[in-house]
Amino acid sequence: MTHGPRIVDARLHLLSRQVLDVDGEPVSTVDDLELRGPDGSEARAGQEAHVAAILVGPALVTRLFGGRAPTSRMPRIAWDDVGHLGTAVELAVSSDGLDADWVEHWVRERLVERIPGGRHDPEGDR
Amino acid sequence: MKKVFAAALGILTAIGGFVDIGDLVTNAVVGSRFGMSLVWVVVVGVVGICLFASMAGRVTAVSGRATFEIIRERLGPRAAGANLVASFAINLLTLTAEIGGIALALHLASSVEPRLWIPVAGLAVWLVLWRVKFQIMENVAGLMGLLLVGFAVALFLLGPDWGELLRQAVPPSPPGTEHPASYWYYAVALFGAAMTPYEVFFFSSGAVEERWTAKDLSTNRVNVLVGFPLGGLLSVAIAACAAVVLLPAGIEVSSLSQIVLPVAQAGGVLLLALVIVGIVAATFGAALETALSSGYTVAQYLGWSWGKFRRPARAARFHLTMIVALLLGVGILMTSVDPIAVTEMSVVFSAVALPLTYVPILVVANDPEYMGEHVNGRVVNALGTVYLVIVVVAAVAAIPLMIATGAGS
Repeated sequence: MTHGPRIVDARLHLLSRQVLDVDGEPVSTVDDLELRGPDGSEARAGQEAHVAAILVGPALVTRLFGGRAPTSRMPRIAWDDVGHLGTAVELAVSSDGLDADWVEHWVRERLVERIPGGRHDPEGDR
Repeated sequence: MKKVFAAALGILTAIGGFVDIGDLVTNAVVGSRFGMSLVWVVVVGVVGICLFASMAGRVTAVSGRATFEIIRERLGPRAAGANLVASFAINLLTLTAEIGGIALALHLASSVEPRLWIPVAGLAVWLVLWRVKFQIMENVAGLMGLLLVGFAVALFLLGPDWGELLRQAVPPSPPGTEHPASYWYYAVALFGAAMTPYEVFFFSSGAVEERWTAKDLSTNRVNVLVGFPLGGLLSVAIAACAAVVLLPAGIEVSSLSQIVLPVAQAGGVLLLALVIVGIVAATFGAALETALSSGYTVAQYLGWSWGKFRRPARAARFHLTMIVALLLGVGILMTSVDPIAVTEMSVVFSAVALPLTYVPILVVANDPEYMGEHVNGRVVNALGTVYLVIVVVAAVAAIPLMIATGAGS
């Protein structure tokens, strides 16, 4: 293993990787990245930029078919929440507190939990 | 001792889990029309599924990433998305065929109309997915599926001319009455039935469900390398039964009752009853596997939380996907489409989709970032490349053959 700064290719090592929360529960895939310039403004070609957030959900549609959605509409996971980069992007927070995971929360609360046995632990004794 | 028991259990479930409605129907049809002359395809298919299932299991055990996560990561959202649409459609077709198979087998046992059994079968599959622990689900279906050994017993009871069966098989000599295009069409179908992609999705995701690590690699290898070939022998027994009884009588298989006819003739009601239980278990197990695979593929492509080991509420969209897939399958069957015809379609389209699944697995199994020291060896890579060629040829040939032969008729 190499130590010191590690070079990460955003296309190769970030895009389309699985995102796991702090408990190892899958949250999403890295559908797109939000790049920001040094002063926090929108990144421009040829200038220094850093990854500000992981975009999920609707970002997949723009990746597939092109076009741009207003960035304010994109569910995002702040880059500060990322804990570790391996073969998956591991977050340092739980998925329960992530707004970006709202569809899962909606389906859970409105549908699946309401079906009898929805909270049953299959690995438990009963 | 406990380890030996676990290994034996794994092998037995692999045997019982190998045969599904696709193998049953295709082998019986082929046996009744071409005798033993297509046995070589089963052998080729079994070696292929052993190779790629163990590779997919190894990739998941070492990297913790399941097959469709890898497909997405390696092919990017567009190509993987196209792959997902195709895989999901074929998986749905297979799921439909399996639920139809359960209904047909229960119809045989009860003479209650299959269409009444279809919703019952669908509901039963869902209840197991919703409630039952993964290991119990897999072991019960696999062990009861072993009752299909009844086909082998029937073959011995029939006391066939073994020399004649062998002569049909080596070298392969198709009956002169059949057109070569039909022969190759069924060769592709049989190959598709043996190597159906859902087996790989299920096998790799099952490795996550059972929390495999690099330590479980030897178990993985033994399960696959012993279990699947023995399952392949069951397939051959089904074809041989049809070749002994149905081929001379000129019966072309178009229903489940004809598939089990040789068993009834050889072993009477008792053996028939056992085999029907075996068919119900095998198709039920495969229905579970295909329903799970539909959830696995979608959830892994989109990065959703998935897995039967979680509470349904902790993998909400995964469970919702499986419910939708089951409803679609039941809905298709309730239009009173013939489940046997659906099965024949599903195996041919499986053959078309094979490269989409197997190419990315082979690529990632060679990637040291994922695999560390467990990357493919030279022999496995050589075999994998040979199979890639076979898989691509079968995929390209499938549709033209289907059109040329009028789906084998």
